[in-house]
Amino acid sequence: MKLKSILKRQQKNILSFLLVAAFIWSIFAVKWSEDLVHSGGLATIQQVALALINPNLSPTIIQLALESTWITLAYAVCGMTLAIVIAFFFGIFASGIMFDHTGLKLVFKWIFRGILGFLRAIHELVWALIFVAMFGLSPLSAILALGIPYGGILGRILADMLNDIPEEPIQALRASGASKLQCLLYGYFPLVRANIISYTMYRFECAIRSSAIMSFVGLGGLGFQIQLSLNDLKYDEVWTFLFFLIGIVVLVDSWSVHVRKGIHEAKKGFTFVKCSFFFTILLLLSSWYFIFSYEQASLKDLFSEKNAYYAQKFFSGLFGIGAESTPAFLNLEAWKEALQLTYETLRMSVLAIGISTIAMFLTVIPAARNIADGSLTLIRKWYAWLLFGFIRVLYIFSRAIPELVWAMIIIFILKPGILPGAIALALHNFGILGKLCAEVIEDLDERPVRNLASCGASKSQMLLYGVLPAVMPKFLMYILYRWEVIMRTTIVVGFVGAGGLGQQFKMSLSFFHYTDVTLLLLCYCILVFIADLISEAARKAAK
Amino acid sequence: MLSSSTEIITVKNLSKYYERKIALSSLSFSIHKGELIAMIGPSGAGKTTLLNTLATIVKPDEGYLTITGIPSEKLTNRKSLAKKIGIIRQQFDLVGQLPVIHNVLAGRLAEWGFFKSLLSLILPQDKAAALNALERVGLADKKLEQTAKLSGGEQQRVALARLLLQKPEIILADEPVASLDPARAEDILSMLTTLVKEENQTLITSLHSVEYARKYFTRIIAIKNGQVFFDLPSNEVSDSLLSDLYQLKERSDNDET
Repeated sequence: MKLKSILKRQQKNILSFLLVAAFIWSIFAVKWSEDLVHSGGLATIQQVALALINPNLSPTIIQLALESTWITLAYAVCGMTLAIVIAFFFGIFASGIMFDHTGLKLVFKWIFRGILGFLRAIHELVWALIFVAMFGLSPLSAILALGIPYGGILGRILADMLNDIPEEPIQALRASGASKLQCLLYGYFPLVRANIISYTMYRFECAIRSSAIMSFVGLGGLGFQIQLSLNDLKYDEVWTFLFFLIGIVVLVDSWSVHVRKGIHEAKKGFTFVKCSFFFTILLLLSSWYFIFSYEQASLKDLFSEKNAYYAQKFFSGLFGIGAESTPAFLNLEAWKEALQLTYETLRMSVLAIGISTIAMFLTVIPAARNIADGSLTLIRKWYAWLLFGFIRVLYIFSRAIPELVWAMIIIFILKPGILPGAIALALHNFGILGKLCAEVIEDLDERPVRNLASCGASKSQMLLYGVLPAVMPKFLMYILYRWEVIMRTTIVVGFVGAGGLGQQFKMSLSFFHYTDVTLLLLCYCILVFIADLISEAARKAAK
Repeated sequence: MLSSSTEIITVKNLSKYYERKIALSSLSFSIHKGELIAMIGPSGAGKTTLLNTLATIVKPDEGYLTITGIPSEKLTNRKSLAKKIGIIRQQFDLVGQLPVIHNVLAGRLAEWGFFKSLLSLILPQDKAAALNALERVGLADKKLEQTAKLSGGEQQRVALARLLLQKPEIILADEPVASLDPARAEDILSMLTTLVKEENQTLITSLHSVEYARKYFTRIIAIKNGQVFFDLPSNEVSDSLLSDLYQLKERSDNDET
């Protein structure tokens, strides 16, 4: 078939065209004709920018920032502990390696994969709201809220890694008479060890950011202080806390980069990796000790009669048991409204990924090391390193600050709606996308580009003919993957009034309209599910 | 000896050092327009360094080099350099993700401005020339295929088609058939030498195979330890000279990577 082969050849172009069309469609979701900026919005921008250069460095604020940073770190560590435990057991079951029987294997695999999928589909902040409603403002609410979705992600990755292991070493072990459990200890675990540790380290960095925003449901930490200072319009304090947040994220990031390098080099003796191991244990012990002794978390209180009563009330509320009116999820009008919001949220996510993609494309080329030092194009410019450093700092800055914090700041400037939410999401993802894509360029095979240089191509021609076609498939993959993540996060930026499902969710929760909450959660899960399907199909086409 | 007016490349006392190791040691020779030259010699003798120096990618530490009568240090404009020198290496020169026709048209980038190159990615420009070149290398039916999906030999032919559009006066080929099987290697070499003769170009190729060097080239320059070991017409190269060239015990101690 001629048409079929043309379609197959053009599938990447068609995909790009569709993505651009989707972005243009999302632009019209914003009512540009209306007044989008608060009357004092421009003045606020100025104040925020001025405060950036003059953060509040008074001893009391610094002390407060240090304490909150520790709380944020401790919550993240405890949450990750829980996540690792969940991931360990669920991941092994979800991989199906413990079963020989094919039928049983498939059943277990799909049940546990389903559970893991559910755990990670719901954003940690939504979990936090649910746990706070059940258990009150206990630190354990935050830890559970962190541990569950992170356990879901880690478990899924562990299951995938266990499934991807080459069969030969395992078969050899089986042949030498090893039991299933012995295979696990001597075959599976050593084979996935390095990869799962690197991935867990990467997730730990994300957990710090998540832990910081846990504060928005009223649990202590950096986010809580940022919120308080923002409410008092003390932008200089906001920046101090933000710098501490950026600092700890960068610290953990560079730690994980070094550990990952160390694991793959596998040196003997007292290495960085071993140091890190003992440090991790110390961190674990001190975090849990802190949670139970200073923060007075108590497992007993968690399961007190009072909490049981609240939890029961909350859940019966969600399912509409004992409610006077018909539950919202059985009401056609309510569905219509919720679906309208779902549609808006979808457009918000597309607008967000579109904006960050454009910003990424504008900055990514000078942000690649091999462009900056001229090794790729053989063209060196004195300002290249300057530009490289500037953009890389911008990336770190943008990705270290969580979407929610960006949203809280932007809400002071723009009126509520889709635009502030999309911009907040775009600002956070711009840094992530930029870093990922710059690394794609750095990993590029330089020979074809060099040859274009010998054909007399200028720098822009080399980028057009040599770099762009080579990096496009990977770029598309990362963009789609980040879009999935954005989809999950749209609900969170809504909490602070940045529009979409999240805004309604928070309002319904505040007014105790629990059946509305159920309906919105349903819509949210549908949206996440659809986004995953679309993105997976598109990523296949991009390959 | 031919008159100096047809001398297209002149090399005099050319030396290159890599961290005190000698890569090229006071080389001198001249090349005339239309010659087909094979450069042979043991691994690490300095063939690649010499080709990169002739391509002006590597700057010599001593001596001088003129290309079409112009001192090499004055050849800084890449666009005009591309009209003098074209390069073909092993099959990693092409952008695998682009369709074949765009890889061929990349030979025109020196002449095109930015907007024409941008437009060409959507609507191929100078299409007739590209199709003609593909016809000559026998790949006209593959013009829209993704380049990475072609076989190694086919990719090398795409690289030849690109050179046909670039039309340089001199072609430098660095082990152009190193990763091909013997049948494909001969196919590419005969095509390369035929096209070079038809276009009235000058060809300098580094090769591992002495057999191919004798069969397809008019002159052989043997390099050993960064020096010219012999420089003779192909039919005057004797077997004893060759065994001296590749003798193991006199292996150079200044291997390059």
